[in-house]
Amino acid sequence: MAEIRAEEQTSTISKTFLIKPKLKSKPRTLPQTPESKYWSSFKSTQIPNLVSSIYSLSFSPSPPHPFAAAYSATVSLFSPLSLSDGDVSPSSTISFSDVVSSLSFRSDGLLLAASDLSGLIQVFDVKTRTPLRRLRSHTRPVRFIKYPVVDKLHLLSGGDDAVVKLWDVAGESVVLDLLGHKDYVRCGDCSPVSSDLFVTGSYDHTVKVWDVRVDNSKSVLEVNHGKPVEDVIYLPSGGLIATAGGNSVKIWDLIGGGRMIHSMDSHNKTVTSICVGRTRKENCGDEYMEDRILSVGLDGYMKVFDYGNMKVTHSMRFPAPLMSVSFSPDCRTRVIGTSNGIIFAGRRKGKENVESGGRRNILGFESISEPEVLRPRYFRYFHRGQSEKPAEGDYLVMRNKKIKLAEHDKLLKKFRHKDALVSVLNKKNRENVIAVMEELVTRKKLLKCVSNLDIDELGLLLMFLSKNATMPRYSSLLMGLTKKVIEMRAEDIQNSDALKGHIRNLKRSIEEELRIQHSLQEIQGIISPLLRITGRR
Amino acid sequence: MMMRGGRSMVSSPPAFSNDAKKLLVCTSNTVSVFSTATGLQITSLEGHTALVTSVVVVPPSSPAAKVLCYCWTASLDGTVRYWDFAVPELMKTIDIRVPIFSMVIPSFLDIPSEGKGKHQDLFAYVFTEDTKETQEKTKALRRQIRKCNLSKSRLVGRLILGETKKAEVLTVSPSGKFFGIRNKCRLHIWKVPDLGSEHAAVRKITLHHTKKITAIAFHPTQRIIAAGDVTGRILTWRGFGNIAFSGSNGVENQKLISIQEDKPGVRDNDDADSCSTWHWHSAEVNVLSFSSDGAYLYSGGKEGVLVVWQLDTGKKKFLPRIGSPLLYFIDSPDPTLSSISCADNQIHLLKMPSMGILKTISGIKAPCCYPEMYKGLDSGIAFDQTAGLAALRTENYCIQFYSLLDDRGISEVQVCERNHQPGDDATVIVTAVALSVDGSLMSTSEVKLAEEGIGGLVCLKFWQAGSQNKEFSLSTIVYEPHRDAGISAVTFHPSGNMVVSSSFGGDFKVWRCNNDIIQNDQMHQNFSWTCHSVGSYKKRPMTAAAFSADGTVLAVAAETLITLWNPYKNVLLAVLGETLTPIVNLSFLGKSDNLVAASCGSNPQLSVWSMSKLSLSWSYKLRIEAISSAVNSSSFAALALLPESSNETTFKGRDGVILLYNGTDPVPTAIWSVRKAKGGALGFLQVNPSSAEEIIIDGKTPEVLLAYMNGDHEYVVFDPYCKDAHEVNMSKKEGLSALELKGQGGQYGYESIYGELPEFNKKIPETPWVPSFPSERPWETIFSGSSHNLPPLTKLCSAFLESLLEKRTASVE
Repeated sequence: MAEIRAEEQTSTISKTFLIKPKLKSKPRTLPQTPESKYWSSFKSTQIPNLVSSIYSLSFSPSPPHPFAAAYSATVSLFSPLSLSDGDVSPSSTISFSDVVSSLSFRSDGLLLAASDLSGLIQVFDVKTRTPLRRLRSHTRPVRFIKYPVVDKLHLLSGGDDAVVKLWDVAGESVVLDLLGHKDYVRCGDCSPVSSDLFVTGSYDHTVKVWDVRVDNSKSVLEVNHGKPVEDVIYLPSGGLIATAGGNSVKIWDLIGGGRMIHSMDSHNKTVTSICVGRTRKENCGDEYMEDRILSVGLDGYMKVFDYGNMKVTHSMRFPAPLMSVSFSPDCRTRVIGTSNGIIFAGRRKGKENVESGGRRNILGFESISEPEVLRPRYFRYFHRGQSEKPAEGDYLVMRNKKIKLAEHDKLLKKFRHKDALVSVLNKKNRENVIAVMEELVTRKKLLKCVSNLDIDELGLLLMFLSKNATMPRYSSLLMGLTKKVIEMRAEDIQNSDALKGHIRNLKRSIEEELRIQHSLQEIQGIISPLLRITGRR
Repeated sequence: MMMRGGRSMVSSPPAFSNDAKKLLVCTSNTVSVFSTATGLQITSLEGHTALVTSVVVVPPSSPAAKVLCYCWTASLDGTVRYWDFAVPELMKTIDIRVPIFSMVIPSFLDIPSEGKGKHQDLFAYVFTEDTKETQEKTKALRRQIRKCNLSKSRLVGRLILGETKKAEVLTVSPSGKFFGIRNKCRLHIWKVPDLGSEHAAVRKITLHHTKKITAIAFHPTQRIIAAGDVTGRILTWRGFGNIAFSGSNGVENQKLISIQEDKPGVRDNDDADSCSTWHWHSAEVNVLSFSSDGAYLYSGGKEGVLVVWQLDTGKKKFLPRIGSPLLYFIDSPDPTLSSISCADNQIHLLKMPSMGILKTISGIKAPCCYPEMYKGLDSGIAFDQTAGLAALRTENYCIQFYSLLDDRGISEVQVCERNHQPGDDATVIVTAVALSVDGSLMSTSEVKLAEEGIGGLVCLKFWQAGSQNKEFSLSTIVYEPHRDAGISAVTFHPSGNMVVSSSFGGDFKVWRCNNDIIQNDQMHQNFSWTCHSVGSYKKRPMTAAAFSADGTVLAVAAETLITLWNPYKNVLLAVLGETLTPIVNLSFLGKSDNLVAASCGSNPQLSVWSMSKLSLSWSYKLRIEAISSAVNSSSFAALALLPESSNETTFKGRDGVILLYNGTDPVPTAIWSVRKAKGGALGFLQVNPSSAEEIIIDGKTPEVLLAYMNGDHEYVVFDPYCKDAHEVNMSKKEGLSALELKGQGGQYGYESIYGELPEFNKKIPETPWVPSFPSERPWETIFSGSSHNLPPLTKLCSAFLESLLEKRTASVE
């Protein structure tokens, strides 16, 4: 132990300093917050060629959370597992007679309800794809249907006839007709905390909260969004709702009597769909999930809104107007439907299938019954314990970190200055070339190097100079160097056509730079009297 | 008197104590004793009145005497002193009245151990300067080697072994049989006479070489001597003095044999068997030393590389990039420990076979030499007033933090990421260093010199201190802060979140600190500095800058004018003018509304300006080297260089004075004359309450101390308001020596593995197996021991029973 301690105490005086390029100024805001890193970690896959715009996307609540997409007269089911393998073909497809407008999975994921523009609502068995119930009562196209969060018997629907209906699915009968909206009902959601409460949004700019226990079938609360409401969702607490309409997403406090808490106006075009997403947050070491609102709009942006801090935390652009968005309950898949028949599915890496993995462990239990005894005849015997992880209380003796030296570093250490310059010129990293040149200047060897370069190497240098000499960042060093190089190697340049070509390029880029400088000076000449005048006031 | 420090630790070779736990270092008039375990100073031996030139530790005569701590020291004051450095206590003083440049004591290396009866005299060989006989001799040969009888406290009369022009260092062989000096291209070697008599003939041989010899070393066991020369060659003579030192009539033999024998490499019929040459060093060899077993030779020189030569094969191993010329390599009695002294006032303790550095005893670094244009602006020393630290620029692109109160180096901050190679031209220069008032922030500026007009770069760097004291980390780099113009001054705002940098390019910039606290794994404060405003005055070069004590006024000197600004709004408030020559130093006087400015050049001037009247209060025509003003009072101190004409006569070599003024009063309240004022610095230090009990003058603690550092970075700290400038009593920190004692015993080699060997004793004590007398508790001991050693049961049984009976009776009583 004493020996180890002593080893640890010794140090060397000198350190190895690498040749580093000059630091660049850092932007004041970080390029990527942990959260945007999280949202970017969804590996995007395109599901193309779905003919028309994706009206509705819905995730099954039961693992592995397959999702259904409604486009034209078709509903397709996709498996998120196949997405990670790059397979984008649907696992099953259901055809309809009319355009499908809305989809909803039952809470156990066994049934799928779909509505179409003919006013018909059908309930399918997800596995067999057979229609089990046909609910017909709406006289105009149905625009949304929704299964309640826990209730398996009822279904909520709304349509262009401005009526919201509550269905008894088994009996194919309407339980309640909720009247009150004055325009198309386009969206709705069921409360996550109560099976009696739900909310619907309509093109009459209002969002109404309904309670089935109120017998006069009037809304208990009404908020005015100010624009035709495209989507409304309950936030997971059940006390807040978010509404989308026009260019804004608004957050309302239902318990506080329908007070607007915040309006998020960062979309440039109509927000078409919103859903609740979850992000991972780390604070003081422990990791937890936090809810976000994902909103998509016709401007092609998906925005992630932190309604705790009322801030847009991430924003992503897609090359098409976006129609629908959905986020899987296991937080590993998010899908976005566009108006031109493409689904952008994003899947995040993670532990695949915790359940099945566990099962495999149980099956494989027998094989681990006897630990293998290592004997000196195996090579592994001599390596035993090498990959052992240190226990918590162990005293760690760190090995000195090995410094990785680049080729030019090694050459500079050996004082092979010209070779270092040539090697770094070959590497095509501009920053490093400048750094090596600066190091050579401090060693007072740069001009010596230039005079020692042979024709090919001189060509490399001239090529580098012609590309970079006019960069403002490096021009103070490189313009001086260029001048010196041409002075010193004038004869060699005249004898070689290739070098003459480089010189021509160099001349051209300098002329270009001069032209820019001239025009900038002209602009400055125009502006400076104006500034002078405004400063006087 | 006052507290002195910052002395050179490398003026003469240090010496290890016999147990290798202490290192004795000559520090000008004293010998400092450092602990090798902690690298901290334990005590110092004070008494010499001039530079101590040699320290010789008395080797132990027996292994038991290892703990004894006696040493001899020699000094230029002409005395040899004998100390017990454990206590520390002066035991004996021998005054030989001639300055001693070097001293060796070969004879106690073979003191007869049975010599109790007849006491032998102890002889030292000293290198002295003959001060008396100047008329008779040519002045050139005044340096003499003489013999000194330490037991009788006198020089051995008239015995002059040799004379040289220059003072050289005497080197003694580890066996104590020879000693030698180098003298230009020659080596002189003397054989120490066996008998301890005074006038025994001392025999001498001379070895010749063609180049100037710079270092010599004797082999510990064989007759081998190694010498290094100015060109970097190492010569090894084997079997030197075989002829001269063997027979009694050596002179005849030498003549006879030399004709016949073939002596490869040996010049001029020198008395040696062979001479071989190694060449690795590119510059002169300063350090030569054989390892204690004689298998390796250590050499080092100006390059700062310690080379280990295997003596038989000539194979080399290196300890590279020490960064400073090596001066001495000292082996300790512990074979795993040795020390190298470097020219930058550092002593590194090496762990030997691996040559890793265990500890560094860090003295103040010498001022570095800069090209002419970067000299003279500023001494480049910043003082941390609260912690009593000085921040100095060093040659290896570092800022060294040196504690003035503890007299030791605290830490170094690498400003430029470069390795310094001694002997290189300086191409990167740290031009300025500034510290914030609380010492937690630092700003440095550096210049990279251009190569024929291309590639020059000026950098301004901001540093922040970490949680560990004075472990600075870089927070912001600004490249070319004032385009390509050099920075003339960097100053911190009193609050610490603002810095002004003024440039010769005609503008100054105010930098502000954005202090974001990033909450990742731990609380981490991140300072980033951004430019807050730029100001210029008639495109004049800005030469100095200062903030007022409350931070509301910024004074920037535009050559001969002083411009006053509001630093927050960047508004020009007033212009004061004007002096005859450019101002190089500006300082506000404490909390008062006065400003002091120093200008240099042909018409140097020290001027005090009143802010309330916006006019000159008074001025002197003085050449000012440094100004420092106290934070809390209105007094300030100025270091003025005396005109060269008055130097010789009145001030006895003192070339500067420190003037202490009280505010606007043009009559200085105190004047001290000092030496080596050129390049000196002044700084007021605040006495913080925690250390106040350590610094006591006349029973009361001073409020403020003034530190003066001279051009060689030696410094004094004193109370400027104390009329007769009493000594600042520093009660030495007891903690250091206590720490030393606690450290585990310095066992090494065999002992470190198996523990201390018992003293081998031939007389085995004949103790009977069974205790013959009834002890108090015999039942505990009679069954102890291995079974084959136990006496027969019949004997034991009776003893056991008897013991039980004993117990009973004992308990009854």
